[in-house]
Amino acid sequence: MHSEYPPTLPAEYADIEFENNAQRLPLVLCLDTSSSMAGAPIQTLNNALTEWTRELHDDVSLSYSVEVAVITFGGQGVGAWRGPQLLDPRAPVSPFVPAHLFRPPRLAAAGVTLMTEALELSMHIVAARKAELRASGLQYYRPQICLVTDGLPTDGTGHLTDSWHRLIPVLAEEQRARRFRLYAIGVGGITDMGEQVLQAFAPKFHARLQGFPFRELLQMMSASANAEQKGAGDEVFEKIFSQFKTQRPAWES
Amino acid sequence: MSGLTVFLDGKPVTLAELPLKGGGQAAVFPVVGDDGIVVKLYRDPPGPEQERRLTRMLTMSPLAARPTNAFQPPELAWPTALARGARGEFLGYAMRRFGEPAHIQLIGLFTRAQRRKLFPERADWRFLLGVAWNLAFMTARMHHDNLVIGDFSSSNVVVDANGFVTFLDCDSIAFTDPATGELFPCLMHTTDYSPPERQAGGPASRATDDFALAVLVYQLLTAGNHPFGGVPHDSASESTVKDNIAASCSYVVRPERVVIPRGTVDPSVLPPDLLTLARAAFGPGVLAPAARPPAEAWLRALNKERSQVRICAIRPLHAYGSHLTSCPWCTRVATTGHDVFNGPAPLPLPDPPPMEEERPEGRLSPALKVALLVALVVALAVAAKHLGGG
Repeated sequence: MHSEYPPTLPAEYADIEFENNAQRLPLVLCLDTSSSMAGAPIQTLNNALTEWTRELHDDVSLSYSVEVAVITFGGQGVGAWRGPQLLDPRAPVSPFVPAHLFRPPRLAAAGVTLMTEALELSMHIVAARKAELRASGLQYYRPQICLVTDGLPTDGTGHLTDSWHRLIPVLAEEQRARRFRLYAIGVGGITDMGEQVLQAFAPKFHARLQGFPFRELLQMMSASANAEQKGAGDEVFEKIFSQFKTQRPAWES
Repeated sequence: MSGLTVFLDGKPVTLAELPLKGGGQAAVFPVVGDDGIVVKLYRDPPGPEQERRLTRMLTMSPLAARPTNAFQPPELAWPTALARGARGEFLGYAMRRFGEPAHIQLIGLFTRAQRRKLFPERADWRFLLGVAWNLAFMTARMHHDNLVIGDFSSSNVVVDANGFVTFLDCDSIAFTDPATGELFPCLMHTTDYSPPERQAGGPASRATDDFALAVLVYQLLTAGNHPFGGVPHDSASESTVKDNIAASCSYVVRPERVVIPRGTVDPSVLPPDLLTLARAAFGPGVLAPAARPPAEAWLRALNKERSQVRICAIRPLHAYGSHLTSCPWCTRVATTGHDVFNGPAPLPLPDPPPMEEERPEGRLSPALKVALLVALVVALAVAAKHLGGG
């Protein structure tokens, strides 16, 4: 029996995969953990992830379909996390965890900003997960990728690089084909140049926010996932995002 | 911390700072000092049409909105007052609170992990059948009152520990004002529960409700499987429930067309009368609204089955239809190792609600139930005759 399970599926999730054949909603958090995030910002991010995880577990609708993967860029390169566990890049293990079993990683900040490589890895794991689901007869909603950064893309030695230009046509085509929804969020002291990079990645869904409002950011991802489950039109996603950007609901205006 | 002050019938109430739940259109707030009600505020200023709609609703008293007794929640979270701002502007409305942990979204019954966490030791097939009965009853009563649910899904219906159901988003219901003839349409829908004509932009109708009801009843009776699950063999890339509905592609009717997920429960767990209705709804009924079984037909078939449910002698929480000679859930354990109702190991349970031995029952006495059923059938027969003769 167990030999039938796809090789990338960890044994502890096999029973869940078998029993829940709900349409899935893959969600990738692609997070900057480079040195500029050190101190209070990374602490705020860790706390926000813990709070969000609790809300996700309590949300009966989201925990039915959402699967979470975390990609980080910092230290020496990029990392994929299956819940709290940093995966060995050579191991063929999917980083997606069903929402009701997700536990957040404890992130530390240091090193360089391989933003381009992290986005490429995010797109790769989404495509691989889709293929895996499809082969099992399981359907999926449009996945969501949320890029969060306070800086500019660098190479492995920490020097600014233009390598992110290679992503622009790829991301444009992927989003045109509705293969995923990309949110690109600048936080902290991100520069004008940093914001331009995010705008190039996600022309409609990019933002530059004051401080490190990670709680609101993760709640926006949940609201967007809810809208996706409901089958909402693009205008609803734009409304959710614009409310998030202005950080103010309509009844306060 | 507290938030906004709004006026309900002229009386000021203070809302909690943070909403219980916020969607794209509105957010629902607790009221400071009153656990019995919540206030729903629209994100964008609601127009005069929405204000007229809610004002009309306050004058209506549909059957399903009336509480039957203290132990049974009403089937509708009907508006109780308009919510206005300091300058009298219309902001939203108040309704009775049907919150967790006593009231859980229907979707919580669709996976074993959630059933065990949210309905410990009680969500067997008999319970699911009872919930399906209550949903069909609610739908039939609303249609009887000329109300169309419109946005009918597993997320906006809640169910309590006894299997009673309550529909939450009453402000989206479609109805015609009997006094002025003004039609208030339903502008919301949930694609996984919408038939093709609704996905294409058509209005909500009894027939679109009947489609959503058929999907929900099927999901309940198969412990959570959507009848339009599975990936079509010819699918190129993206594959969704919505696409399968639009293409009229259900494995319940045409299993050969899709890759069916391995864990899918065989449709034969449905008793024959119910399976016949499901095949009508997910076969010809997908593209032909008139071919969909109405709520009354589901109610009759569910009612017939409720008194005949069999209980497995071998494993706990195994109940099944009277048409089967052996327990289908035990057969599944034997062939796959997977038990749909009992977990491999106990999960940590956060504060389980107090246990009661009571099983899901209808909200009315059996005699009254039969009387109502007869009345509905007679009404239906009269309507059919009228149509036939007209």
